Amino acid sequence: MKKTIQIPLGSQHISLLEPIRFKFECENEKIIGVDADVGFVHRGVELACTRSFEFKQVGYVVARVCGLCAITHSLSYTLAVEKLLGYVANDRIKYLRMLMVELDRIHSHMLCLAHTAENAGFEALFMQIMGDRELIMDVQEAISGNRVQFDYISIGGVNRDLTPELVAMIHKNLGVLTSKIDALIGLFDNNWSLSLKYKGVGVLRLEDAYTYNALGPLARAAGLATDVRAETSDFPYEDIGYKMILESSGDIHARNFLRLREIVNSITMCQNIVNNLPVGEIQEKAKGKPNGEAVVRVEAPRGELFYLVRGSGQNMLDRVRIKTPTFSAIPAMIEVFKGAEYADAPAILASFDPCMSCTAK
Amino acid sequence: MRKIETTLTTLLRDIGAFYEAKKWHFLSVNGIDLGEGKIELQWIFSQYGVKDEVVIYYALSDYETPVPSIVTLIPSAFMGEREIVDMFGLSVDGAESGLYLDKDSLAHPLRGES
Amino acid sequence: MFKSMLEAFLNLFRPIRTLKYPAEEIVLPSGYRGLIEYGIDACIFCDKCEKVCPPGAILFYQNEDGTKTYRYNPWLCIYCGECVRACPKPEEALWQSETKQLSALKEEGANEGWFVWEEACKQSREAYATAKKSAKIQNKSEE
Repeated sequence: MKKTIQIPLGSQHISLLEPIRFKFECENEKIIGVDADVGFVHRGVELACTRSFEFKQVGYVVARVCGLCAITHSLSYTLAVEKLLGYVANDRIKYLRMLMVELDRIHSHMLCLAHTAENAGFEALFMQIMGDRELIMDVQEAISGNRVQFDYISIGGVNRDLTPELVAMIHKNLGVLTSKIDALIGLFDNNWSLSLKYKGVGVLRLEDAYTYNALGPLARAAGLATDVRAETSDFPYEDIGYKMILESSGDIHARNFLRLREIVNSITMCQNIVNNLPVGEIQEKAKGKPNGEAVVRVEAPRGELFYLVRGSGQNMLDRVRIKTPTFSAIPAMIEVFKGAEYADAPAILASFDPCMSCTAK
Repeated sequence: MRKIETTLTTLLRDIGAFYEAKKWHFLSVNGIDLGEGKIELQWIFSQYGVKDEVVIYYALSDYETPVPSIVTLIPSAFMGEREIVDMFGLSVDGAESGLYLDKDSLAHPLRGES
Repeated sequence: MFKSMLEAFLNLFRPIRTLKYPAEEIVLPSGYRGLIEYGIDACIFCDKCEKVCPPGAILFYQNEDGTKTYRYNPWLCIYCGECVRACPKPEEALWQSETKQLSALKEEGANEGWFVWEEACKQSREAYATAKKSAKIQNKSEE
């Protein structure tokens, strides 16, 4: 007789935001085998980018891969095409792009924290964090003119400039948020019922992080010092106070804590950007047609986003390869699930911050 | 970005000699359709803690030739291999179809216009 | 632990955080990206907006007498503003307003009606091009 039982999680489950299916092979309460199915929302974006849209329009297409990291997708694509066109953006454009990416990171991390709290059974905290997240969403809406689909970055610059009212609003909202994040850090550190669900649960060891090529917050929580912001020279991150943040224990608590500390770092960076914004044009002409091959890596909220663009001097591109963070994180996720208790699975899953519409693209 | 040419037969040896888990981060497997049944396969790596160091191993192949799997060297490569099986209809040892498409789907969307 | 209990207790006396929508209107920030609006008097019919539009929400119908008719699908538009940036006469011929588009009704034919229009535009251009060509040939033979 078979000693194990199969329990599926997903594709529709109350603890999931997005469709993903895990098939857990369980021995009593312990998970011993995992099978993941991720292709529920495949839309063929890579194909559409090369067949239906010209290279100037593709930036708006790839922004629709994912709602949360829309800005990182359009940024990576735009950077790749600008490399092919031989265009280098001026400092003001770079700073404005960094500002949007860091704001995006703050609100994406807050969404993840909210969901980890909810999946650990703390629904009031979920509502509280989601309410605080509106501070950042409001800023982004005011800057770009839309709440989710920013369409802020275009080839050769950014579409809108900061006005003095916007600067005042950014300072005000970030100031309010700083005190709220401080309170959250205390709460995540000291709350006893949260620590039962978080501490020592879902551990990714450093060795496994190397073996399975973990990335982003998942790797940094395990102590693997990798961050694309420190590994590329496309943006002057050192000038605006970027610090790499590392934790060592690799459990859910470490991942939450890492995200909270990254939010604090991102807030500082946003304030520095707004205070030291260089003067310059926000739109410049980038002429020509993309010819050749370019790779771009950008640190999205969930880890490294990779774009490979190849063109042959025509309006249509030959290949747009999108490698999203969650796609690479799945082998490490499967490794973490092995040996965990089934009851902890939703909280562990939420702490990875998986983004399925990115993965299936 | 550095590009290093390899062939499918020497791929395992080349990557085995090159890859160190603590030094290189494996990004993904990528395929590019070159038209007329030809395909370029790429294995992409980046180095931890070094600025702008991306290494791409590439090999030219066609639709029929089976592609060796590098899962024995890099366990996390199975996702990328399953993706090229679906998207280009290649055969990779040990990689199942059905990551994005249906398991029995006959379509290979990223192959050249056919 | 006790801090969060105290916090929870104090929350009883704090104001409510939820918005009272729809009893109270939500104020959108100024500069909201809304519908694209068109001024026929300033338009020079260069078709630049049509070419850059990512979803193809602006289409010009080619009339037989050489003029063109502008048509815009507000439900297909993604409000990116690329057309306004491409326009040689922004603010006069094409500009982005702050009005929000409401959902389409069935009668408005947001999808089917637009497919018909797309087809009509394509055919009108082909017909115009062939008519022009044959006119040219006729002119030459007359000479």
